[in-house]
Amino acid sequence: MRLLHGLPILLIAALPGALAAQEHRMMGHGEHGEADGWRMPPMSMTMPMVPGLENALPPVRPFLIGDGMDPAMFPAAEPGRRVVVADGDTLDMDVSVVRRTIGGRDYAMLGYDGQYPGPLIQADRGSRIMVRVTNRIQLPTTVHWHGIRLENRFDGVAGLTQDPIGEGETFTYEIDVPDAGMFWYHPHMREDVQQDLGLYGNLLVMPSTPDFYGPSHREEVLVLDDILIDDQGLIPWGEEAPTHALMGRFGTVMLTNGVDDHRIAASAGEVVRFYLTNVANTRTFNVRFGNARVKLVASDIGKFERETWVESVVIAPAERYVVDVRFPEAGEVGITNTIQAVNHFRGTFYPHEDTLAVVSVNGPAVDDEVTQAFGRLRENRDVAEDIEPFRALLGKPVDYELVTTVRVRDLPVPIVASMEADTFYVPPVEWNDGMPMMNWLSTGNQVTWILREPASGRENGDIDWRFRVGDVVKIRVFNDPESFHPMNHPIHIHGQRFLVTERDGIPNTNLVWKDTTILPVGSTMDLLVEMSNPGSWMLHCHIAEHLHAGMMFVFEVTEE
Amino acid sequence: MMGKTLLLALLAALAPAAADSAPGIPPGTCALPEALVPGEAVHLPLPESAAPVDAPAYYAFPVVSTRRLPGTGLAAGLGEVTFADSPFGVTLAEDGSYVLDVWLSVERLMAPREGVYVGWLTTPDLDQVQRIGALADGGPLRGRARWNKFLLVVTLEPGDDPEAAMWTGPVVMRGMSRSGQMHTMAGHGAFEQENCAVYGYD
Repeated sequence: MRLLHGLPILLIAALPGALAAQEHRMMGHGEHGEADGWRMPPMSMTMPMVPGLENALPPVRPFLIGDGMDPAMFPAAEPGRRVVVADGDTLDMDVSVVRRTIGGRDYAMLGYDGQYPGPLIQADRGSRIMVRVTNRIQLPTTVHWHGIRLENRFDGVAGLTQDPIGEGETFTYEIDVPDAGMFWYHPHMREDVQQDLGLYGNLLVMPSTPDFYGPSHREEVLVLDDILIDDQGLIPWGEEAPTHALMGRFGTVMLTNGVDDHRIAASAGEVVRFYLTNVANTRTFNVRFGNARVKLVASDIGKFERETWVESVVIAPAERYVVDVRFPEAGEVGITNTIQAVNHFRGTFYPHEDTLAVVSVNGPAVDDEVTQAFGRLRENRDVAEDIEPFRALLGKPVDYELVTTVRVRDLPVPIVASMEADTFYVPPVEWNDGMPMMNWLSTGNQVTWILREPASGRENGDIDWRFRVGDVVKIRVFNDPESFHPMNHPIHIHGQRFLVTERDGIPNTNLVWKDTTILPVGSTMDLLVEMSNPGSWMLHCHIAEHLHAGMMFVFEVTEE
Repeated sequence: MMGKTLLLALLAALAPAAADSAPGIPPGTCALPEALVPGEAVHLPLPESAAPVDAPAYYAFPVVSTRRLPGTGLAAGLGEVTFADSPFGVTLAEDGSYVLDVWLSVERLMAPREGVYVGWLTTPDLDQVQRIGALADGGPLRGRARWNKFLLVVTLEPGDDPEAAMWTGPVVMRGMSRSGQMHTMAGHGAFEQENCAVYGYD
């Protein structure tokens, strides 16, 4: 038993009697998973149990925050607030257990400063802000400032750039923000648990010039997430290691800014700028704005060379996109995740749509300079000038290569047999959990996701890359489809910025600085990385369960 | 090997019905030499990639001869796919289906005595058809699919009609996107001990 906030955290392993019947009841498999505190995640009723797995459980202990306690014991979390932090100022932010209400039910979860999402921290480009983080939970934690090219010792990677922040301890992050854009922060310890429980927030770095973006009438920040809940509540996480190690933990309830019923108001004709951040453990969203026209403006670390019209926004975990959307008419517009899901059992794709938010558009219609400017696509000369020194290097030979793959051991035989029989085709991107039971049963102790360097044969933490500040390095990453269970990977590089120069041999003709980008199954991408920031930095997959199943390594950048 | 065997079997089962009528082709043109009568699958080496890009090999698929026309039995083709240009690295259609550029290259396809070979993309149930162009010198020919499962066919047409909505001639070659190999698990493998009818299959 461990203590949290002075109160016991009860691991639900001792509470099987408190758990009600399993949702999935089909073909006589209804009692599956109702043992040792585990409940199997909800499954489509059209998908049968894999024979031989009726009584299988993940070989780790189940874990919930504050289980066995009334969530009312914890303070109610509040919606995230924007806080402007001036150059040199310090923001105090604690990590605590909070009460969240999702779908009319209360849960004990985690929050930064008691908010969901955490505070929207706003700072001016070029400033240095301090964030003093106090840990008021018993789980050790850190805060990683995703996408920020800050001083290495404040990157928030436990065991690499700092010691974990223990219960009652404080760590002050000094954050230099050299780039304008939307960034975010989250723990870099057991993200599969802590981030999923609500520890995430945005850091908005304001540009130096007022016309950095085109004009808009209003701005909306949308933090996209999902959470795994059945009719009994939160599905436990693995204590010693993540569950869902094969595909990552897909949620069953979509959360936007921490709620499942997010609403936005706009006037007809208005141009709304949306800052999108995907904080989900594994889900890649395809965000549509009904039939409204969508202009793609920026991504992780700044603007695209050119604005473009898009039908939707494909956003992988940890990515950010900025889009301007004009809602021409009064009415309600659903912002949706529109996908073709996979039913592995039936061997079919099927259309699936979740509503992420609803925009209530009211008249009378606005028609002004902003709406007129919306119709024009800007060429961003400042971006082109920033990229210009790298343009001659876009076609340079590949310096380093990585291959992504996976190894498994000790998985239940029926899982191995079923997956081997059903892998004639693996989709480029897993938009949904098409095999929830098998995925749930796989843990980080049985699955090792791998970044392998073919040249040296080294894998994950054994990869030894050393650079100097000023190096511009081309890295080719290939997602090997010939493995036990290939999957898309959002590849994230800490502390630096990169350009995606090619995908599958096709040059990228509209560049943007990135820190995270998706690599579909079977695909190859070339990243041109500017090694501008000294220190020890991580390169990893940003699917939380893949990260904790080994898919990471550290590279060194030293001063010239 | 298992996948390829299955693929060939599936391809044989998926012969478009429209090919049977072969309208627009002079009588007698389609008479098949004995050696080319459909039956045992002929394993031919696939062409090298002819797409001007580094298309993922995993999603490439064979385009095989139907052996319905004299001189085409030894033809072999390759369909390759890449994502259509996208700022996101993955391109999706309005309904969430992938938007893919499909590259067709063909070898050992003898020139027709009359008419022109034309490439088409179509859904597995043929309810949507898209002409991708006349096939000259083995390609490559590029089309764009907005479906997650699709067929790529080459037909022999009387002429090159860019406005054609559907083929009229016989199907000379055919291929199926790799996604077509995603098939039901009911009644086989781990589930074969259970009755398929439970899941709606005969």
